[in-house]
Amino acid sequence: MKKLSKEEVLHVAHLARINLEDEEIERYANDLGKLLEDIDKIKDIKGYDDEMMISPVEYNSDLRPDVEGKMLDYKTAMKNVPHSTGNFVEVPVMLNE
Amino acid sequence: MSNYKTTVGIEVHAELKTKTKIFSDSANHYGKMANTCTNVIDLGYPGTLPTMNEEVIHLGLRAALVLNCEINKHMHFDRKNYFYPDNPKNYQITQNRTPIGVNGYVEIDTENGKKKIRIHDIHIEEDTCKSIHADKKSMLDYNRAGVPLVEIVTEADMNSAEEAVKYLEKLRELLLYADVSDCKIEEGSMRCDCNVSVSKTDKLNTKVEVKNIGSISNVGVAIKYEEERQIALYEKGETFKEQTRRFDDKTMSTILMRVKETGNDYRYFPEPDIPFVDLTDEYIKETKENLPMSAEQRREVYKEAGINDINVEKIIQNRNISDYLNKFIKKINLVIASNLLLGDIAAYLNKTEMNLDQTKLTDEKFEDVVNYLDSGKINSKIFKEILDDVMESNDSIDKILDNHNIKQMGEDEVIDIINTVIENNPQSVQDYKNGNERAIKFLMGQIMKETKGNANPQMVTDKLTELLNK
Repeated sequence: MKKLSKEEVLHVAHLARINLEDEEIERYANDLGKLLEDIDKIKDIKGYDDEMMISPVEYNSDLRPDVEGKMLDYKTAMKNVPHSTGNFVEVPVMLNE
Repeated sequence: MSNYKTTVGIEVHAELKTKTKIFSDSANHYGKMANTCTNVIDLGYPGTLPTMNEEVIHLGLRAALVLNCEINKHMHFDRKNYFYPDNPKNYQITQNRTPIGVNGYVEIDTENGKKKIRIHDIHIEEDTCKSIHADKKSMLDYNRAGVPLVEIVTEADMNSAEEAVKYLEKLRELLLYADVSDCKIEEGSMRCDCNVSVSKTDKLNTKVEVKNIGSISNVGVAIKYEEERQIALYEKGETFKEQTRRFDDKTMSTILMRVKETGNDYRYFPEPDIPFVDLTDEYIKETKENLPMSAEQRREVYKEAGINDINVEKIIQNRNISDYLNKFIKKINLVIASNLLLGDIAAYLNKTEMNLDQTKLTDEKFEDVVNYLDSGKINSKIFKEILDDVMESNDSIDKILDNHNIKQMGEDEVIDIINTVIENNPQSVQDYKNGNERAIKFLMGQIMKETKGNANPQMVTDKLTELLNK
């Protein structure tokens, strides 16, 4: 059975910005390995290389006219925001910006 | 230092001039109170779905066309996944596999003649929110989240800071005159990232990406700084990893931000919520035929009308003046019109801190003024005298001239004065006949003095020459 390395699991965890305990790393190494195996099966399906299907519907995008609609008032927009400064949403300092 | 070759590639993000955002109908307004131009789509609420703004496709296509790109007629969007608070969905919707335009070019003038800077691709995507960083916190404004952008990526075709600056100036002009973007770097509607490397051989060395450069001229400064910094490291025998640095305009230097993650970490996959967008040949043709007049086309028209190169460039630098002038193409003398707009009228607007459309200068008055100057009915001295009224009153030019008690003398009246001056200055007349060209200037001066400047100088010259040669 396919299994991810510890480094691969930690890398994926880092991309999602989550910390994992040792036992979780072991579990994800197995689970993600199983997932990749399943994906390999999909790749074997005839027609995999045909034109990519990007959407469950076959028609093209309906384009929307460039006309302004109703927006959220400020209070509603900020309702789920835990911290704010003035009108701004406040988050812990973003590094790497 | 000279045995190192510099290689530069540039990515430009330009915000599109639409009324609404790319995937939602909330307003695309710069400068509004933070977080007042949003809706549930911009804020990434679960269950919301994006809808594609038709004007974004239209402007994206225009941009691709003015950059001479091949158009991707069957395109879709992709998700670029990354975990960061500037995009609440945790992915940015962009075009990874099917950018709207590919394989284009921008032509710049260099010391060695024209050079084509190849465009790798131009793709449409959404902007992230604006973040302001303080010591321990970052402040976010989602008004910018979902503002439509085009990202324009060049090949690594530039070999100096000067070429990079020229490319950016040309690109800005193309986008600005195609009405794609207002390209205001200071407001962030045009942003440039540069990839810079130096090498002694044709093999490219490690590149450094420089972000956060706030003006086109600072792009030049940043590239020169990077050239020197990287060369110094190589000369010391050091190497470095691919990295992202930001330009600091206080120290005019670049500062390390991060060692880059690889593209694979973005885990691009097709955006399933936006089906394919197909561009028909007819739509592409129509868009191409209806492109606004480009800066290059305007230059040709102005030069053909006789405007000098310096003034042509001054006009092109100021889109408002260019648009205004274009209303009068083939109607009036564009040389006089441009001189007025760049000279006395510009000075008036500067002084009063007004725009042309805030004044009372109607198209009709402007045409009259230019025609009167052209025919010699008034001269520039008189124009200066009536300028304030031309700009501030509702009166016609004729009425304004009346109000100032300025009247132009008729031909008969002028001929009488010329004859009197000729009679009173026989020596000068003789000098002229003997071939002394300066004599005619003296006679002209006498006539203008007698007419108190109320005669058309061209008419005086013509009549005086005619009478002297009788």
